[in-house]
Amino acid sequence: MITLRGLTKRYGETVAVDDLTLDVEEGRVTGFLGPNGAGKSTTMRMILGLDHPTAGTALIDGRPYAQLPCPLREVGALLDAKALHPARSARGHLNSQARSNGIPVRRVDEVLEQVGLAKVARKRAGAFSLGMYQRLGIAGALLGDPKVLVLDEPVNGLDPEGVRWVRELVREQAARGRTVFLSSHLMSEMQLTADRLVVIGRGHLLADLPMAELLARSASASVHVRTAEPEELRLLAGKLDDVDVSGETTLVARGTTSAAVGDLAHHIGVRLHELHPVTASLEQAYMELTAQSVEYGTTGEPKAGL
Amino acid sequence: MNREKRQGATLASAIGSEWAKLWSVSTSTACLLAGLALTGVFAFYYASIARINAHPLQPLGNAPVSALTLGQFTLLVLAMATVTGEYATGSARASLLWVPVRARLHLAKSAVTAAVAFAAGTGFGAVGLAVAWGPFGGRATFDAAQSATQVLAMGVYCALLAVLAVGVALALRTAAAALSVLVVLVAGLPVMCTGLGGPLLTAVNDLLPQTAGTYFMRGGDTPYPAPVGLLIVLGWAVAAHLAGLVVLRRRDA
Repeated sequence: MITLRGLTKRYGETVAVDDLTLDVEEGRVTGFLGPNGAGKSTTMRMILGLDHPTAGTALIDGRPYAQLPCPLREVGALLDAKALHPARSARGHLNSQARSNGIPVRRVDEVLEQVGLAKVARKRAGAFSLGMYQRLGIAGALLGDPKVLVLDEPVNGLDPEGVRWVRELVREQAARGRTVFLSSHLMSEMQLTADRLVVIGRGHLLADLPMAELLARSASASVHVRTAEPEELRLLAGKLDDVDVSGETTLVARGTTSAAVGDLAHHIGVRLHELHPVTASLEQAYMELTAQSVEYGTTGEPKAGL
Repeated sequence: MNREKRQGATLASAIGSEWAKLWSVSTSTACLLAGLALTGVFAFYYASIARINAHPLQPLGNAPVSALTLGQFTLLVLAMATVTGEYATGSARASLLWVPVRARLHLAKSAVTAAVAFAAGTGFGAVGLAVAWGPFGGRATFDAAQSATQVLAMGVYCALLAVLAVGVALALRTAAAALSVLVVLVAGLPVMCTGLGGPLLTAVNDLLPQTAGTYFMRGGDTPYPAPVGLLIVLGWAVAAHLAGLVVLRRRDA
């Protein structure tokens, strides 16, 4: 489990991460979202002991990263996949990494096989494509078979097969009871991968809640209705709070459920010819959330949705 | 090498990792070969000049010691590059993820580069002795114990220079900055001090790492005994190491 308490990072006047308090729990995939510059990477670097928090703490299973007795066996991290010596081979890189934590060298071949780089293991990493770098980075994260994975944009640069592979990999890790904390800008992918979402904007926590709840809260979650007669539509529309009449016999209702609309129609004797809910996409929900980031940020609510 | 069990993250494993990193890039070998060539050529040159200009008799080891004035830079670059190369590629962060205990990572880098520089320094010395004997044409004395002492002293001096270079590199992070400081400190200042002369600058020069190191390797008694020269170089290495550690601990990676 990753525990952040009042985590804050200031660079002079700029507040990159502001008083972040949340738990990233085991057994599920927690997505980490936010616009560029929201403080995601800074947060991840503080979790990993690379950057020093100005205030607050970031703990992994109760300890700061730097105090983990064998960090690579406990936490697997992927930050910037291209950040490695271009003259070193994939195998050479992982070999040095394995040795640093006393991980058996056979693990190097296992993870190279697992990420599909076994054939290019002896090639200079400088000749790799971005997708190969990502695979090597993921191999490094898996090397110590850790209980916690912290992955910054792991699918960046991967082909569709690779994206799917990462999704299945992290789902499987979570199913084995591990903690997975990953960021991505690919909303559709995140919607398929994550169980829970943490959204930050300008360093503030905007949301920390299950995926289903976030989608349900979206303003674009709506109920589409078609009535038998225009007269009935007017009657129904008059009873709904947030409604757009989209045609003579059609309307879109928000802030309600299809069950509630159906019950209402029955109650007032309106015949429905069509009634279907439209769930929001994560992209829509995310856009709304981050567009309102200032408003959310100043309410000082500690945890939306909890 | 493949016998590691679940030993965990220790200083020994950090050293093993640094060792593997050092030899998995060709820069290291290139630096050592360049150093060997430079020391060999200039030891030959030094001995030839001594013969041609009919210098007084001197210990054979003086030739490689003088040649090290150039050869040492290849070792400085080797040691420095283990740090600046990582900051340039961003892999410094990877190193800190693998070994998050700053003092341990720093010590591992210093230990590995010092060990390699020690081996290289003695190697340069031994080759320099062999190369210089002929061209000296009888203008050098050979005493096995004295030569062995000088060769070992060269190894120790090189090891301390490596520690100095790693410390400076960790404090400054970029190759350009670190190399500038190292070149000025090790070569620039002695040249300036001896060029301008005067008692003050001579005294300053005697406290600089290369000058002190040369007194140590030549093994004389003026202006101070050889062990004092060693202590001065050691002082520089320790100071640079601590400076590097302070920056490594305080600054974000």
